[in-house]
Amino acid sequence: MYSNVLSGGFIGIKSYIVGVEVDVSRALPGFDMVGKLSCEVREAKERVKVALKNCGVELPPVAITVNLSPADIHKSGTAYDLPIAIGIMCALGSIDSSCIADTLIIGELGLNGEVRRVNGILPIIMVAKEEGMKRCIVPSGNYDEAICIEGIEIVPADDFNTLLHSLQCGVFLHALQSNEYSDNDFPGSCPPSGSHSDTVGSGNDFPDSCPPSGSHSDTVRSDKALSLHSNTVRSDKALSLHSDAVRSDKTLSLHNNALIKDDKQSLDFADIKGQETCKRAALIAAAGFHHLLISGPPGAGKTMIAKRLPTIMPPLSPEESLEVSTIYSVSGLLNEKQPLITMRPFLSPHHTTTRQALTGGGTNPRPGIVSLSHKGVLFLDELPEFSRDCLEVLREPLEDKTIQIARTRSTFTYPADFMLIAAANPCPCGYYPNRNLCNCTEPMIAKYRNKISGPMMDRIDLIVTAEKIDIDNLINNTASDSIYTTANMKKEVMRVRQIEDERFKGTSLKYNSDITPKLMELYCPLDAVSKQYMTNAYKAMNLTARSYHKILRVARTIADLDNSHDIQVNHLKEALCYRG
Amino acid sequence: MKYTCDETEALCFLQMTPGIYNSQIKKLYDRFGSYVTAVTADESDYKKVLKSDEYEIILARREISGITGDYQNLRSKGINYCIQGSANFPKKLMNIPDAPLSLYYKGALPDDKRPVVAIIGARNCSGYGRQMAREYALELAYNGISVISGLARGIDALAENTAIDAGGISYGVLGSGIDICYPSQNRSLYDKAVINGGIISEYPPGTPARPFMFPQRNRIISGLSDAVIVIEARERSGTLITVNTALSQGKDVYALPGRTTDSLSYGCNKLIKDGAVPLLRPFEFIEEFRARLPYNNTAPTPSYTDGNKNVTESNAFGDNMFLTSNERMVMSVMDYNPKSAGEIFYEISEKATLTIPELLQILTDMTIQHKLKCIDGYNYCIYN
Repeated sequence: MYSNVLSGGFIGIKSYIVGVEVDVSRALPGFDMVGKLSCEVREAKERVKVALKNCGVELPPVAITVNLSPADIHKSGTAYDLPIAIGIMCALGSIDSSCIADTLIIGELGLNGEVRRVNGILPIIMVAKEEGMKRCIVPSGNYDEAICIEGIEIVPADDFNTLLHSLQCGVFLHALQSNEYSDNDFPGSCPPSGSHSDTVGSGNDFPDSCPPSGSHSDTVRSDKALSLHSNTVRSDKALSLHSDAVRSDKTLSLHNNALIKDDKQSLDFADIKGQETCKRAALIAAAGFHHLLISGPPGAGKTMIAKRLPTIMPPLSPEESLEVSTIYSVSGLLNEKQPLITMRPFLSPHHTTTRQALTGGGTNPRPGIVSLSHKGVLFLDELPEFSRDCLEVLREPLEDKTIQIARTRSTFTYPADFMLIAAANPCPCGYYPNRNLCNCTEPMIAKYRNKISGPMMDRIDLIVTAEKIDIDNLINNTASDSIYTTANMKKEVMRVRQIEDERFKGTSLKYNSDITPKLMELYCPLDAVSKQYMTNAYKAMNLTARSYHKILRVARTIADLDNSHDIQVNHLKEALCYRG
Repeated sequence: MKYTCDETEALCFLQMTPGIYNSQIKKLYDRFGSYVTAVTADESDYKKVLKSDEYEIILARREISGITGDYQNLRSKGINYCIQGSANFPKKLMNIPDAPLSLYYKGALPDDKRPVVAIIGARNCSGYGRQMAREYALELAYNGISVISGLARGIDALAENTAIDAGGISYGVLGSGIDICYPSQNRSLYDKAVINGGIISEYPPGTPARPFMFPQRNRIISGLSDAVIVIEARERSGTLITVNTALSQGKDVYALPGRTTDSLSYGCNKLIKDGAVPLLRPFEFIEEFRARLPYNNTAPTPSYTDGNKNVTESNAFGDNMFLTSNERMVMSVMDYNPKSAGEIFYEISEKATLTIPELLQILTDMTIQHKLKCIDGYNYCIYN
């Protein structure tokens, strides 16, 4: 007997549907698995065998062959355990194949039959939806994550036994039938619940084998199965899921939870004493999604500013949230507590980090830090201390907003649209140009600065200095009269983002920082006075073509903050101060 | 006699012989009475003065390449050489304790009849130190006074560069072999000084710079000068070694006062406390220097010197009439030490309420108009 169960896998963050084909034939007993499998997939054999046994299913002495198709793609992960087990039951005739038609099944099996959570649920379900599937059976541990995708029925599975009974008694088929299918497609194939024992073995090629009989004799088990079946919370939940209202409620509450968490963090720009120039630069950076470099002495508050940046960025839109969650899903960073990423990621890798950790590594590369900070903030503290290697690989994502990782098998592309916030000391001791404290020699300082290459600096739009804070400033709390509080700044950022949305409507651009030199004329036109001023500045300040564009981009955001349709001379003047 | 040579060639030969240092040369001189007899002596004579491995190398070298070869080799490389007692050896150096036996030089040696002033100071100097080194070097150059220094980074290099660029004469004394430019980034200054003055060293060509050589060369700097100007020095600074040698040689020491809170001015302020002459203005220094020194035939004072008095003063403060009120406010907190926009903002905030964008706009304006100088792209100081 042959059966085909649908499951899914992913390469990078791209998913594909995997057909789990199971054939059971009368031959020397054995269990073979093919289809370019990694060792954890191969081990599924043992997990499935034991799980079936512990669920009361006694496998007949038959030759089982499992093929995961397409057979030329390397499969890894433990998500195929459950589909293999269901496939075997199906091939044995214990489950009617119509019950699992159009159903994607994912899950890892424990030896006790428990269904455990797996990684990368989100992209797989997205593909299932695209492929027009009706239903996904996922581990209940992945349930919260899975229901974030709308328009497809999600069924949580706690343990194999319960799921088996549900399938055997056709709960899902029943639901489908009542919705879409007419009875004549599967006449009498789905008896009402309670009579499931009869279905097993009917049309079975192997009369010797009767796995359910075992479960029947075990009264405790069947009792449990029945009680689970009749009126438990779980089955209620499974059924209630059919209504979309519940789902959206749940998603909404997740969002709300995230917002509450956000408040709890209570990071506020008002906490920072002084550093008004840095706060202003942070505001511009958040409004235009510009990369920012803060240079200054140790302990001035560079890190504090960077940590507060996500708080003034607009919240993730649902699409963005899903996009980010997909990356976290394949990285295995989502869990029941946090099924969806709803806050802007903030990652601050230590400066000893490796290139592979930043870009993503492994034979089947997992997303690296640059991808995990997609749509959020990548904070590199002590920028010159990072190895040259690490910094140079950032060039590509800074320019293209994606990162490509080439491996023998294929090239992986991950999104990496992050805002780079970097902090650096001006010299090895950190106090230059204060010569009272700094005794670094000029070659030392030059060497320290040269660690950040020119092309890297060119990609950072905003460069500001943090200054040493006087004791007066710390004691006399003057921060309260600062206009730069998180609430104020966020309001400004939201306003500018709206302007940007309108400006770039219908284009692939999103933020002012995306404006390419080609589009400068269109989005950053200068009047005669401004042009004259820039000409003077260009000569007096030894600007380059690249820094010229940088200045215009920043001036565009400053003009937006000023509610000005055109870039004016004053906006250029301020932007010139951030050129670095 | 098998070998013929003069004193210069003989000393040159000895100094270029590996393993023979000034101490051995002095022993030989004391024994034989002249360098010529010292290099042409027999093995039996050497035995009484030197160890066998020391004189064997002398014997071997003079056998193979002769005695005069070293001196000729030097001249062919464009390096001049003079020994103590020769006509062109600076007289000022004759009088100092532990005078060098000889000098290697490129360009020229200081003229005994012309005044020379040493400008010395910290390598990691502040913006204030830089500016003052420039102003004093400029004033010296305009008044026909040569500037001598150690060709080090910071104050030394700045003073020499400024003097040469202003048409003056400058000498650099190296703490390494004459053909080695240390630090290497002062190469262009080295080349300029060879033309507009000279580069001097007491070490044979090829000698790499070693830490102990720098204090040694300081005695030549102070020895060749008539007065020493200390621009900036920390409490424990190599600059103070030069001051000590200058004092032991009986030279006048002038020190530039600074704020007591600036660690780079501590050495100078301490010197003033200990009796050094405080430097108030460049032209006042010139007047005082002239009064103290017996140079009757110094170069005529250029006629523009008086006008120059005002130029050096007016840099920062004379142009205030061309500033807007906000610019004047910014200018009032600026000095020669660079400050970041944030620091300027706080210093101003006590006086006026400018917003950050307003301040940044003013800073950009003033930078473009050359009223302020922007350093590293984000620090500002007074333009000079």
